[in-house]
Amino acid sequence: MTTLAWIFMLVSVGFVVGLTIWCFWKVLKHQGSD
Amino acid sequence: MDSRPASPPDNTRDNKMQWGTRLGIILAVAGSAVGLGNFLRFPGNAAANGGGAFMIPYFISFLLLGIPIGWAEWAMGRYGGRKGFHSTPAIMGVWGKGPVARYMGAFGVLVPLVIYFYYVVIESWCLRYAIAYATGGIGVDPGAAVAVQVEASKAYFGEVAFSGSNGVVDANGVHPSLWFWVVTFTLNVWFVFRGLSKGIEKFCLWAMPTMAVCALIVLGRVLTLPADPTNPAEQNVLAGLNFMWNPDFSVLRNPQTWLAASGQIFFSMSVGFGLIINYASYLRRKDDVVLSGLTAAATNEFFEVALGGMITLTASVVFLGLAATQANSGGTFSTGFFALPVVFARMPAGDFFGAIWFFMLFLAAITSSLSMLQPAKAFFAETLGLPNGRATALTAAICLVGNLFVLWFSKDLVALDTLDFWVGTFLIFVVAGTQIVCFAWITGLERGLKEAHEGALMRIPPFIGFIMKWVSPIYLATIFGFFCWLKVPDYVRTITGGNGTPPNKVALYSWGLIIATIVMLLVVTKLGARRWRAAGMDLDGRYPAPDEDHGGTP
Repeated sequence: MTTLAWIFMLVSVGFVVGLTIWCFWKVLKHQGSD
Repeated sequence: MDSRPASPPDNTRDNKMQWGTRLGIILAVAGSAVGLGNFLRFPGNAAANGGGAFMIPYFISFLLLGIPIGWAEWAMGRYGGRKGFHSTPAIMGVWGKGPVARYMGAFGVLVPLVIYFYYVVIESWCLRYAIAYATGGIGVDPGAAVAVQVEASKAYFGEVAFSGSNGVVDANGVHPSLWFWVVTFTLNVWFVFRGLSKGIEKFCLWAMPTMAVCALIVLGRVLTLPADPTNPAEQNVLAGLNFMWNPDFSVLRNPQTWLAASGQIFFSMSVGFGLIINYASYLRRKDDVVLSGLTAAATNEFFEVALGGMITLTASVVFLGLAATQANSGGTFSTGFFALPVVFARMPAGDFFGAIWFFMLFLAAITSSLSMLQPAKAFFAETLGLPNGRATALTAAICLVGNLFVLWFSKDLVALDTLDFWVGTFLIFVVAGTQIVCFAWITGLERGLKEAHEGALMRIPPFIGFIMKWVSPIYLATIFGFFCWLKVPDYVRTITGGNGTPPNKVALYSWGLIIATIVMLLVVTKLGARRWRAAGMDLDGRYPAPDEDHGGTP
């Protein structure tokens, strides 16, 4: 697997996983305070 | 004299429908977005358009089209709900301030309705595959050569899709796939009849985590696959990931790549379908739409990139090799129904993983198809004043005709392909364009953002406003221009004939079905407008909503 393939995979997957976790963390935090 | 209505009349029982929880609507919208495209269309699209380099136009489309238009839909829908409207034509009429936007909004009912005509048929194939794997497999010989296995997979698919001939009856009697469609169709109608919180929301709250668990089980299995002993250097997990992710930057000069990326974002995120508007119309005034919209979009991307992008092609390369994967990963059907059955035939405990995989696809498809029925049901309920049961029955009857059309004209899947191209691709650009123009230009960006920020749990970054007003419409128009230039002529030729080929009759019939459906929706929209006007409803968006604390329309 080439270095560029690793970079594109890790950045893309990292971005969507990070965004999803951040969003659900915010939603659940507010869900608790409702 | 100020003749504005004090409050919208309760003209439909749908007005009483509401989502149960914030998490419920997020998972329902995410469920509508996560479908077959995430697991089958995305990896094939990416691999065919530059691998990792595809992610550049893909994420640009996500940022410039998916997120801004998605937020606009959420805000427009919730505001429409406060005015007593739940259907796309009515809500677009409010934001577009008149009949032109209202009739354009009818396309926002047409898109999900006509996509449903064929989508539920594909959904029923997934159910049939899942049950076949759970009860002993689909008959692909595990010991045969790859080429023989691919042919066996294609033959089974042809049998399931009945793509060898038209009609639903052959020498052996009624085609078995028909019974799977009956079960799938009945389940869909039942959940939609149950309503938002008791039907769609309850199902999505269960189905979405189940899908994630199923996908993670299959992902875990795929990433721990040993290399193929006959060709370990080329048929291993890293080679599979490399096939999917290794970037080829030369494709970025090709408009086709940008078109594929934006098409993938639209189809996958359910933006421009008219269904987010409908779902958001059942929110309360102070319910957040900004964080909810972003969370639903992020969830869809998680399923698509982190799961869809890691599973299918990786497994295919390990078991089939690069050449066979390349030959069978060009489209949704070839990846899902030709390549993967070979993978499951060669994989230890393949029937078990095949059953889990196709069950997950079935769940992904049903959460999407429910969201395609609901906008039509809401439309008939509020235009014709029908109660829930009769609106569901009318929607089901129309879908029955559409489904039977697709099931009957199954030869070479021409009907399915024609409907998918003109409605599932072409018209999505039109609906999305109309939505963003109504939001950012006709009502105005400032008022639109103000509405979006009511009750919001996070702010929309200021630069997104600029994107909504300028970049999204221009980018959308450019992509649509390329689409018309590159794709439309071939499909027009299937209808008109040309280059020595006669017109394709089934493509013509499919056009007839689309036109008949849009004429019916326009007529019903007109009836609805008459009804709303008689009831004193503000269908042209002239007055503030009853609970609005800032003057004027949003």
